[in-house]
Amino acid sequence: MMRNSIKILPGALVCEECKLRGDITIGSGTIIHPGATIIAEAGPIIIGDNCLIEEQVKIMHKLPFDHKEKEKTTPVLIIGSYNVFEVDCTVESPKIGNNNVFESKCFVGNKVTVSNGCTIGAGCKITEEQILKENIVFYGAKCMMREGLDRPVLQTLQMETLTKMLPNYHHIKKPNMKL
Amino acid sequence: MSYIIGPNVVRYSCTCGLLKPISFLYFCRYCTQLRCSFCVCHEVDSNFCGKCSENIPSSEARVKKNRCGNCYMCPSCEQELSPRIASTKAPAEGEEKVSTKKMYYLFCQFCRWSSRDVGIPDQSSVTGGWPDRENIHANRLQELLDLYKAIVLAQKQQQEKDKKQRGKYISYTDRTGVTAAALRKRIGLPADLTHPLLKSRPKEPEPMIAQTEVEKLPDDIFTKPINLMDITTIEQRLLQPESQPTTVDKLFPVHKQLSIKRTLRCKTCEHNVSKPEYNPSSVKFKIQLFAYYHIPEIRIVTVEPLRAGRPCELILKFTNPTQHQTTISFFELNLDEQEDIVENKLTEVVENVEQLSLQEKQPMSLTSQPSSSLTLSSRSPSIIIKPRKIMEYMNCNIEIPESTFVLPPRDDAAEYDDSGETHNIHDDPKLVKWRKSNKAFIKLNITPDESLPLNAEVVCGFIMQHVYTNTITGQLEKKEPQKYDHKVKVFLTLGQTVGSE
Ligand SMILES: [Zn+2]
Ligand SMILES: [Zn+2]
Ligand SMILES: [Zn+2]
Ligand SMILES: [Zn+2]
Repeated sequence: MMRNSIKILPGALVCEECKLRGDITIGSGTIIHPGATIIAEAGPIIIGDNCLIEEQVKIMHKLPFDHKEKEKTTPVLIIGSYNVFEVDCTVESPKIGNNNVFESKCFVGNKVTVSNGCTIGAGCKITEEQILKENIVFYGAKCMMREGLDRPVLQTLQMETLTKMLPNYHHIKKPNMKL
Repeated sequence: MSYIIGPNVVRYSCTCGLLKPISFLYFCRYCTQLRCSFCVCHEVDSNFCGKCSENIPSSEARVKKNRCGNCYMCPSCEQELSPRIASTKAPAEGEEKVSTKKMYYLFCQFCRWSSRDVGIPDQSSVTGGWPDRENIHANRLQELLDLYKAIVLAQKQQQEKDKKQRGKYISYTDRTGVTAAALRKRIGLPADLTHPLLKSRPKEPEPMIAQTEVEKLPDDIFTKPINLMDITTIEQRLLQPESQPTTVDKLFPVHKQLSIKRTLRCKTCEHNVSKPEYNPSSVKFKIQLFAYYHIPEIRIVTVEPLRAGRPCELILKFTNPTQHQTTISFFELNLDEQEDIVENKLTEVVENVEQLSLQEKQPMSLTSQPSSSLTLSSRSPSIIIKPRKIMEYMNCNIEIPESTFVLPPRDDAAEYDDSGETHNIHDDPKLVKWRKSNKAFIKLNITPDESLPLNAEVVCGFIMQHVYTNTITGQLEKKEPQKYDHKVKVFLTLGQTVGSE
């Protein structure tokens, strides 16, 4: 049985209704919408600063079947800063860097390591074992791949609005950690 | 909507013999016939750009090669590019003079391609001044174009000259297919007699010479690992046919292709069956004679499990889309008799056409018709559509009900009326199971053929006759709206046969 241990740093905005299971640390400035699900099954999840986790997002930390016995220490899923998880995406990646965008309804399997500045386009499904290089863009129905020139733009304005709006309509979990 | 009419389970037979779902058919009110996209004339009404919603006259569109001058498409994923502001700090000369200058670059929201990717310098205005790339073959293409234009012109002049001479000698060469050159040869004259007018053609461009020796492939072609992300896809290459770049660093923004609005015209009577509004941002129609608004719609409600040789029950829903009451009756559909029908119909069509043209010569059309249709109706019909044989099999027998049923007119307000309706319609209880406002649920008994194997697709068909109230002719002659019995052949794909219980 998993024990819930949720650590919320000051400045994070975590809605009461969202589903958090296992050992999860949420960094400052991160926004988690009420319909999001984060499950730390295989080990703790550490979410960095200023991530945006939208409705119906599923972040799962589970290892591939063939990895389970090899690892002796419990793996930690570290999600970097400034990542955007758009509506209804499913991310099972074992490691996520900074400044990535997971667009709506995309799927990233648990063998895909995401570095920095990548964009997984809407509806793209990526399952093959690989390490995504920096600024890789997946797009379109055929999951076409290209290398972007720079990182995706930050959603600063959107996040500012959300920080103002969300507390008006939802119960917010209180931060329980000090910086 | 598409999930209801998308799977082609109920298909209507067009006058031309093709089977289509009702949403793909038109109904010409003047000929009271169904028309599909294959038997109407398609005409380009207007050219417009879907991004900036601007109408572009057809002459201008031709000059611009059917592309918008201001909007661009992403060369990587074919979506629209949008300008983005990049407020770069202009290189400050003195340390206090840091001025921000608004610069723009093109950006694709979809695949994150930007004009900076290929090193196009940022522009200072939104709409562009984006450099168009010079086509390296431009000169050659222009040369060829000029030549062909000159040839066309010379031929036209020659034809005109020939016409003047035609009074003296009648030429059979046009009709018999014997070329003038061949004829000259036969009578022993030199075959190539260049017309004096053709002599003035511009100088022919140098012909291309085919090369037998081709450059060798680089040595490392098979050993060097390739990076697929640097290589363009076939789609990307064909988007730029003049350069056909092989690597992504040579992708340049493409002008957006224009869209058209179409007018559809009945080939038999030349009336419009569909005419869109001129304004590009409007999705409405001036004329929309879709069959969906005139012909009762049939949907399959339920069908009992289909077993070969066993009777089962089929419930269909009929909806009357018109403002007039209609009566629906069923007839047997026999595809073997088609050949006779096809021939009879052809003569019928010819008669109809003659009647139509007669009608149109009468001055009655002056009363209410606008001038545009006057000029149209004065023309005689150009094409007579030959009905074709319906290529479809039927493997299921329908017990054709002898009784008919009535469908009340459509009443939008009735949708919100929950009170128990009493229509005072005397229905055959064996036929009509249930009805509400303009809809009726009809029970039919069907029997799939005895010989059908398991999992065979069961198709049945019947002729639906409905009373069509034509308001158009009524308006013209200031008479009561005319009523026609209109017959439509309907095919139902019911699903697959299953095994015995
Ligand atoms: Zn047709
Ligand atoms: Zn445009
Ligand atoms: Zn693109
Ligand atoms: Zn017509």
